[in-house]
Amino acid sequence: MPVLLRHTAQALVAVWLTLSALFLLSRSVTDPAAFIQSTLSANTRLDARIDQAALTQQLLRRYGLSAPLFYTSWQPAAGWRWHGTGNQYHQWLGQLLAGNLGISYRQGAPVRGLLGEALRYTLPLTLLATTGSVGLAIGMATSLGYRPRARRLVLLALHGIQSFPLFLVAVGLLLLLANPDTLAWFPAFGLGLEPESGNWGQRAGELLYHLALPVLSLVIVSLPGLVIQLDGAIQQEMTRAYVATARAKGASRRRTMRGHVLRNALLPTIALLTDLLPNLVAGSVVVEVLFALPGMGRLLAEAAATQDYPLLLGAVGLVAVVRLVAQWLTDVAYQLTDPRIRL
Amino acid sequence: MKQLFRGFVVSLSALILTFCSTSPDATTSLVVRIRWASDPDNLDPLVVSNSSASEVANLTYCSLLKASEADNDFVPWLAEAMPIVQWADDSLLLVSYRLRPEATWDNGSPVLARDVAFTLKVMNCPGLPTEMDQAMFGFIRDIRLDPTDARRFTLVCVGQSPDHVRSSGDFSILPEYVLDPEGQLRSIALPALRQTSRPVPAVVVAFARRYQALELNKHPERLPGCGPYRISDWQKGRYLTLARKTRWWADTLSSPPPVLQAFPDQLTYQIIPDAATATLALRRGEIDLYSLMPAAEFVRLQQSAADQQRLRFSATDSYEFLAASFDVRKSILRDALTRRALSQLFDVAALVQATQQGAAVPSVGLISPRVKAYYHDSLPLLRFDPTTAVSLLQQAGWQRRGAGPWTRPNAQGQPEQLRLDLSYRTGEPAYETAARQFSAAARAVGVAVNLRPTEQSVLSRQLRAGATDMSIRTFSGNPFSYDFTPLLHSRGIGASNNTGFSLPASDELIDRIATTDDPARKARLLRQFQLLLHQERPFTVLYFLRYRLAAAARLRVPVTGLKPGYEAARIRVEVPQL
Repeated sequence: MPVLLRHTAQALVAVWLTLSALFLLSRSVTDPAAFIQSTLSANTRLDARIDQAALTQQLLRRYGLSAPLFYTSWQPAAGWRWHGTGNQYHQWLGQLLAGNLGISYRQGAPVRGLLGEALRYTLPLTLLATTGSVGLAIGMATSLGYRPRARRLVLLALHGIQSFPLFLVAVGLLLLLANPDTLAWFPAFGLGLEPESGNWGQRAGELLYHLALPVLSLVIVSLPGLVIQLDGAIQQEMTRAYVATARAKGASRRRTMRGHVLRNALLPTIALLTDLLPNLVAGSVVVEVLFALPGMGRLLAEAAATQDYPLLLGAVGLVAVVRLVAQWLTDVAYQLTDPRIRL
Repeated sequence: MKQLFRGFVVSLSALILTFCSTSPDATTSLVVRIRWASDPDNLDPLVVSNSSASEVANLTYCSLLKASEADNDFVPWLAEAMPIVQWADDSLLLVSYRLRPEATWDNGSPVLARDVAFTLKVMNCPGLPTEMDQAMFGFIRDIRLDPTDARRFTLVCVGQSPDHVRSSGDFSILPEYVLDPEGQLRSIALPALRQTSRPVPAVVVAFARRYQALELNKHPERLPGCGPYRISDWQKGRYLTLARKTRWWADTLSSPPPVLQAFPDQLTYQIIPDAATATLALRRGEIDLYSLMPAAEFVRLQQSAADQQRLRFSATDSYEFLAASFDVRKSILRDALTRRALSQLFDVAALVQATQQGAAVPSVGLISPRVKAYYHDSLPLLRFDPTTAVSLLQQAGWQRRGAGPWTRPNAQGQPEQLRLDLSYRTGEPAYETAARQFSAAARAVGVAVNLRPTEQSVLSRQLRAGATDMSIRTFSGNPFSYDFTPLLHSRGIGASNNTGFSLPASDELIDRIATTDDPARKARLLRQFQLLLHQERPFTVLYFLRYRLAAAARLRVPVTGLKPGYEAARIRVEVPQL
């Protein structure tokens, strides 16, 4: 337990440092006035005559961007200057510790609520993609273990697929399976044209139908890495003496593979799973924009494009937490797979 | 694992069989599905911050006046007629309106002058996000209600610009009966609300709290306007549905003007950020209307026989133009001859072909050629001519030895080289093509160009700080207002005048244009202004964009050169001829 606590504490410190660095960098490198200017230029109602300088100052005050960024600042003429606690970082950290992620500049709503809404769409997408990738990877790697000819062909194909960027795969699927000129089997976008209706089963079916292409895109790009890694580990394990012993004792190929080889071969692959979940969240940026899904990825992309700092930090913080959880899950999975491992 | 894989395949097949035959059937109803690239984000009427939100506001609320492209002016909307204007003294303008007697709120009560007064008070209420409204409508200092007519009122405005008259009627009127049913704000005068030095009255504080408790940013349906539509469903990031009111007040008019027409029973806006996905959705009938379509997609669909059958295509000239700006404060760009020389290196015809599939309109300046009354058609269009560019550079004092760079002495007598930094927003093909084309042409005549594709906020900072020599950007205009103060007046330097250009003559012309309402005089002044800009070239207009729209063949869509490119309320379904 102390080990777990230590790991969690280390991860929390890492999250705090990451978020603090992101907060300070994003606000010091970009010009808040430029953010206000781009907001104003996107506003179709504003006409030419307004006093943009005065309006910019007012909006900077509203968004809390007129205060100093940090406790201290360096000015060439005056040297170091202490600003006390009336700075943006102090205010942000205080809110964060109270569980308040701030208010989105763009949407005027609490960031926590916006992240929650986005997760409603991203969680099914990433969980389905993760489950699908891992399940298929284990299935393919174990099936190929004793089929050298098929293995060569499949690995060749997987190496080829691995070179495709996600965007290309997703567009390809869209043009192949949601196109009136080819096969219009799946919807081109979104989660349905109308509000969800029907019972639980119908809604789940509708959701699966609409998520089929996005999930398939994510599975296709994450599958090769997993299969190639797992296959390599399986091939290495199969040269070990315990495999020959098991076979000599009469265990079937399948039983040897499942009961002995896979368990040992999974160990190096588990490390990959740490990255799989955050990578899928990152990959959902492309998929959610392309398939018009209002999830975390799109929220993150739009927040970055519009310099919606509170939303951006909230979303990146969540990704950092996902990575933390993935690392914790990996640790647990290591111990389950090989009880001899002590972390 | 095999069973798992088989199960997956079987489930997928079952899903395909279950759902692949379902396709939207919208052949007879008055339901129109429109593509939006982005969500409205925030539908608080005080924070209408993007074009999607503005479109919703125009369908759910009414303002006193509305911009009409057909009339090249504002026309009465909630107002009975255009306002009567009086100049009270040198600085005050009295703008008198009367509201339409037919206009009512959803509860049947009439829209009255006190609703207008209430709206102005909300727009100046401390504690609410009113900065934008105060910036736009802060010139309205007071409202005087007519004691004898509950629908008549006068707005007291500062300034003498004719544009103030139009702007005085360009804000959504809010219902007092919803937000302040007890009329508590009636006792507070509008000027009192604007005085920041005084403590805020308790009644105002309480009102601001009530307003914010409504969370109109995500529950706009809690504040129904007097427009023809109400918000029936909004799933952020997915879709927004507007339902036509079954009994809208303008339905009682025998022959409603275009601004008071609303035909579709339901408007559903589907949010599809990606252009390729939106095109597929249109071709599959999942959406009915796709506006501001990229040129390549538009031409591809137009050339497809199947899409010619199921879609109807429209394109109209807009008031948005692509331009190359020069920072005239830079020593190398301080003279008009150099700027004119560099302008000759843009091949507009090739650019229009490459970026707009040939469908864009070259212009001599910042007035759209479609505004024939004001466009200076006697000026020559920009011509790609490197020989003239070289000659102009020589006239500007630049010298070149062999294949070396162009040099000339700067103001301090030190030699300076003609090397340019050219910035543009990254990710926009038109900007990139224009920049690359210019760079190649410039290099061919010995001018080195450093291309700087830049993220929007960084570009904005570069422009304000004067950290780039040239930039390629789009600018938006309209056929109603010709006030170039922010863009080219000395008063705009440090704010929106990023070229740093100003001359006493141009400042005077801009001021005169802004304060003139006589069309003939305005035309004369605008022609002078275009001639001056043509000679001085603080920026070079490359072309005016066309807005392209594709819609289901059954729809008749009124198109417009103003964003979003169509009038949603006036879309009709074509009745088949028997």
